[in-house]
Amino acid sequence: MVTFSSDPFSWLACALFFAGAPLFTGVVNKLKARLSGRVGPGVLQPYYELLRLARKETVYSTSAGFISRLAPVIVWCTVALAALLLPLGTTAAVSFSGDIILFAYLLALGRFFQILAALDTASSFEGMGASREARFAVFAEPIFFFTIGSLAIVTRRYSFETILAGISWYDPLFVVFVSVGLLSLFFLMMAECSRMPVDDPNTHLELTMIHEVMILDASGVDLMLYQYAASLKLLLYCALAALLLNPFGVFGPVSGLLVFGVTLAALAAVLALTETLMARFRLALVPQFLLFATAIGILNILIFTFSH
Amino acid sequence: MIALFVIGLLLHGLNFLLPALLRDSRRLNVASNLLNAAALLCGMCFSVSGLLAYQRAEYHFSLPAAGPVVIGFDGLSLFFLFTFQLVSLAASLYAIGYLRHYIERGLPVRAHLWFLTLLIVSMQLVAVAHNALAFLIIWELMALGAYFSIVFERDKEEVRRGGFWYFVATHASVLLLYVCFFTLHELTGSWNFRDFALHAAYDPKALAVILLTGFAGFGIKAGFMPFHVWLPNAHPAAPAHVSGLLSAINIKAGIYGIARLMMILPAVDPAYGWGLLAVSLVSAVLGVWYALAQHDIKRLLAYHSVENIGIIGLGLSVAWLGRCYGKPELVVLGFAGALLHTLNHAIFKGLLFFGAGNVTLHAHGGDIEKMGGFARVIPLTAVAFLVGAISICGLPPFNGFASEFLIYKSLFSGSDLLHGYAPLALLFSVVGLAFMGGLAVACFTKLYGIVFLGQNRAGAAMERQSEPLLSSVALLGLAGLCAAIGIFPAAGLRLVAPALGELGAAAQAGREWASPLGQLQIVFALFLGLVAAVYAVKAWLQSRTGVRLRETWGCGYAAATPRMQYTASGFAEELVKLGRPMLALAVHWNALGGVLPAARTFHSHCHDRMEDGWRAFHRAIGRFLGAFRWIQSGNIRHYVIYLFASILFYLLCALVW
Repeated sequence: MVTFSSDPFSWLACALFFAGAPLFTGVVNKLKARLSGRVGPGVLQPYYELLRLARKETVYSTSAGFISRLAPVIVWCTVALAALLLPLGTTAAVSFSGDIILFAYLLALGRFFQILAALDTASSFEGMGASREARFAVFAEPIFFFTIGSLAIVTRRYSFETILAGISWYDPLFVVFVSVGLLSLFFLMMAECSRMPVDDPNTHLELTMIHEVMILDASGVDLMLYQYAASLKLLLYCALAALLLNPFGVFGPVSGLLVFGVTLAALAAVLALTETLMARFRLALVPQFLLFATAIGILNILIFTFSH
Repeated sequence: MIALFVIGLLLHGLNFLLPALLRDSRRLNVASNLLNAAALLCGMCFSVSGLLAYQRAEYHFSLPAAGPVVIGFDGLSLFFLFTFQLVSLAASLYAIGYLRHYIERGLPVRAHLWFLTLLIVSMQLVAVAHNALAFLIIWELMALGAYFSIVFERDKEEVRRGGFWYFVATHASVLLLYVCFFTLHELTGSWNFRDFALHAAYDPKALAVILLTGFAGFGIKAGFMPFHVWLPNAHPAAPAHVSGLLSAINIKAGIYGIARLMMILPAVDPAYGWGLLAVSLVSAVLGVWYALAQHDIKRLLAYHSVENIGIIGLGLSVAWLGRCYGKPELVVLGFAGALLHTLNHAIFKGLLFFGAGNVTLHAHGGDIEKMGGFARVIPLTAVAFLVGAISICGLPPFNGFASEFLIYKSLFSGSDLLHGYAPLALLFSVVGLAFMGGLAVACFTKLYGIVFLGQNRAGAAMERQSEPLLSSVALLGLAGLCAAIGIFPAAGLRLVAPALGELGAAAQAGREWASPLGQLQIVFALFLGLVAAVYAVKAWLQSRTGVRLRETWGCGYAAATPRMQYTASGFAEELVKLGRPMLALAVHWNALGGVLPAARTFHSHCHDRMEDGWRAFHRAIGRFLGAFRWIQSGNIRHYVIYLFASILFYLLCALVW
């Protein structure tokens, strides 16, 4: 059954999620700046940027067709709908058995349109970014299914809400399983959200970019949607990790939200620290990095299966 | 209602006479295809009403030359009949506009239309023949119809070669099927499928022969690896409507055969299930990986059929495992997923091949490196093709997602219900399915992006060209079906339900097995509403801020040409390289040299290791048989000696016995 949450808190959590996503990006950027000894822009800077872009004129390439006009909307909407499937501190807004599959495939749909929009401009730079995005996604997708899929198999439940409720924190093996799975998930997040060491969001050379080079020709409202979707996606993966770390599960709306918020802040710090300490990998190394994460996932499920 | 089916067949029969009646090729093309379409509409009325108000029916009659024939309409037959009719209908409508280009070039279509009708009729009859002898005869007719439809442009070398691949494969397939069905006949003393199913106990060894020859025979037709090699050779050779028919439904006859065998034979040994699972997984992953490496649009799509056959095979193997371990939920989930994916793949693969046909007509060839910007030239095809591409990647909210969801669910349920190493194996299948999903996205963004987006790499004009009305109706109709089944999967499941009823497991599995697929339309409605709302907001903001058109930002470089765009090989190169050693990437180029280097060329192609293997196998057979070539000396005196010796031999035999 598809259930829409009747709990107003879960819809409130979603609203907070949509409103807070740029803030989260701002916090990560601020922390990163402070850690590398700079003052950095204020935490509200992403909001200003989105507002600025919304007021700008949109420029389309003469080679661009309907894909370029449709893609930003699809990209934003896929991430937004995926967010509704997560139990953000309380019950999930929308939940059904098998929503983990929809989650992965929605993000893939967004990626599909993002890549097409890059190829739509006939720019070789963007083609390069599109090729890289497609290549890394191939290795990123199995990681999701090794972590969340093996959790589903272990807990015998197939929606985020029930999987998270099904993790028994009293079983030490489970704790190890979840924490190692979290490591894979963290690697996945770096790849999917174009963070270091996979992609450098602040680089200035198109040749070295992945995500940024794909939206080189986007402007105005379209660019706003892309950037908003990017910060939503970052928060989405961090929220997923935070939920896995949250031993209180989804029982109380207030305490659940509180613990969730604190874990998110901790994750932002870890992310900023990683990005400060690490340089971007050579592009040829990225598949190895992702396969390493997959290998962790395989080992994890093997160890769990054989010791249970 | 059976009258409608008969009327349909009679209309097809009329079509066999039509080439003799109409002189003008142009009129013959329209009349013959429209007649087929009308016949198929009649037939579809029958099959759809049969599926919705399901009642099992069987008709026995005797034909003067062929002996007793049984035509059966059970759930599985009706389902495949409907699938075959649906795609044939679209192909008939599409062929009208597509063949016109060939008629204008002066190619004879008379014989082609005749064999096309033969193919369409025999496809339908294969699905309903419930008698092994009749089935095998019709199977051969279908193979002949397909072969002669493929070699339409037979003055081209590669077309003849592609047709030959098909011819060899289909005969290898039928040879194995003879062994399979003759063994069944030996054991049961009957030719009827129903008697095969009712036979009490099969000897395990005989069952092994039947299953292995049956799975291999039907597997060759379906295109499981390593038997897939005929697909990428035959599909590009055929005209687009025939490649669509081949890939969408002809290979599904193989799936029908495997599903039929699974229904009539007792499932005792899970080893066959695991074997099929492994073969399917390999077919699916390597199929899409090979597809990624192709530069020819139809070859690429042909490899993608191998992938989708693998996905269907995953569902079938889970169903088999469910029967072996006595888990009705698994049987129902796996079978429903496999059948729904069969229907879905038929719809979107037909759509993609027809779209590819329109593209090749305008690009004058199938090489995608010479394409680009076709979204402006043929926008209706571009929209339909986009829908097909999203569907084949299994992305929501189109039909590929619905069936892949069921297959995921069957794998997850399998890991829940089975014990031992089974959950682990099924988890790896889940991850494999996700991996091939990622590869499919890479493959179809490459195909769509290079063919339809950007600018034309061959420098062709980018003005809008007219698209034939009926072709567009066929394409957009199929695209509409992709969306309809995707958003309302319950409608698709309704068509599958009678076939599941035959299994007997459906009743035990309860009604909840399809949950929540039947209710997903709410989620998709939410998604589409969200897209519409965000698009409206975007349009409103843009109406205030304004929109401008400028050429693409080339990082300051002003003299960019369309040939500087990313190429299909460039897009896929790194992923293809990672597929070594299974994918052999051959690169031919001459290095730059000298002070003023002359023009240089670069050419790369990926060849299929398994095809190399088959070629080596064929060469070995040739060498072995070559050892006996001295018998054919060409000297007439030797032949007289042979005659004399053989007569002597028979005489001696007669004396001894």
